[in-house]
Amino acid sequence: MKIRFTLNGKNVVLESAPLKRLLDILREDYHLFGTKESCGEGECGACTVLLDGKPVTSCLVNAIHVNGKKVDTVEGLSKTKLGKMLIDCFDETNAVQCGFCFPGFFVSTYYYLLNDGDNDLEKIKKALSGNICRCTGYQRIFDSVKIACARKKVGE
Amino acid sequence: MQFNKPKDLNELLENLSISQKKNYFLAGGTDINVQIKKEFIKDGNFYYINEIDELNGIKRKNEKVHVGALTTYRELLESDTISEHFPFLQRSLTNFASPLLTTMATIGGNIANGSPTNDVTPPLLVLDAELELISVAGIRNVSLTSFFTGYKKSLLKKDEIIKGVVLSIQAENGYETLYKKVGARKTLTIAKVALAGLKKIKEGKIDEIKLAVGSLNEYPRRLDKLEEYLNNIMIRDINKNTIDEILSKEITPISDLRSDKEYRYRVCLNLILSFLGINH
Repeated sequence: MKIRFTLNGKNVVLESAPLKRLLDILREDYHLFGTKESCGEGECGACTVLLDGKPVTSCLVNAIHVNGKKVDTVEGLSKTKLGKMLIDCFDETNAVQCGFCFPGFFVSTYYYLLNDGDNDLEKIKKALSGNICRCTGYQRIFDSVKIACARKKVGE
Repeated sequence: MQFNKPKDLNELLENLSISQKKNYFLAGGTDINVQIKKEFIKDGNFYYINEIDELNGIKRKNEKVHVGALTTYRELLESDTISEHFPFLQRSLTNFASPLLTTMATIGGNIANGSPTNDVTPPLLVLDAELELISVAGIRNVSLTSFFTGYKKSLLKKDEIIKGVVLSIQAENGYETLYKKVGARKTLTIAKVALAGLKKIKEGKIDEIKLAVGSLNEYPRRLDKLEEYLNNIMIRDINKNTIDEILSKEITPISDLRSDKEYRYRVCLNLILSFLGINH
């Protein structure tokens, strides 16, 4: 079937099987390799993208779900002003080690900053609870998100 | 596998009424995509229903609130109607899934999937929720307490789907509430034990109590016999051993990779005692 959607701000049309996973569409059809597959069952968050502005695990979203919608991936979001600021924050606290989970953390944090952005540790933990990191531990990630929350407030 | 995208509810129901194969439904996809990946789904009719308007939305009608089967957990968490009338249900929802899954996961899918560990059924059971089931023959309402009939089995006929969940706006009124989900971690965990409870206590006496458990039987259920014992009893007269005895007949926990049956039993018993304000 023909799928029409907006991908990182650009209108695109794709011929796709209706059940093809959004994750595979991004990687195979658009060569957007930032979005990663780890568990493939919605438990790890490595494949997180925004669908109509809301975070989803793209391994559990099908082509047919995407039709008529807006998809934003780490590639698109990292080029925005907020995205660039967020990268700096992750950088400063050395939050990233192997990096495999990070596009997912980036997208979840981006959504949190845009829709809440409160500097409260419990809220930050909840917002990132769908993303799993198996190397750095979470402390540095939370530290950088706190910095990002503070900077976003100043920026406003 | 035959893929169908019915344009509306009527077309879907007509398709179901003549379908010869097993029917599968794609709503939010958070569970069925895992089943597809594991190759549990081989042959059948596959219906995309996620954009069927008649199955969506939270609507108040007189003294009832209708929650469409396709309502997502994110929508329930953000709904003013739910926060106004069902704050207990909304608090319970914060224990489900992760923020990434709540965007897509639907209440109807969670129920229809029928897992013994499904998160939403215990709180809905104590709220005396009803389900609206629909087919070409029309709509019938069944109480959620009678909906499940066995492991992943329910009253749903082959040509029928869940249209929505119906709650009385008084369902939480005046009750003290408890929802406890016990798992290996806080988020994205499958419950080892889940307990939902409502109670009204006046001058040391239990006026009314409703208890429902998940992950402890073939499907989530109300603890009818225990409720019967506890209703209208003075708290000081409650006998712990009697609770233990009744509970041992009402729950049938199993040992599996997540936990063992002794642990599950003990935790359930202790949660109930705590809810009653009794030392364990």
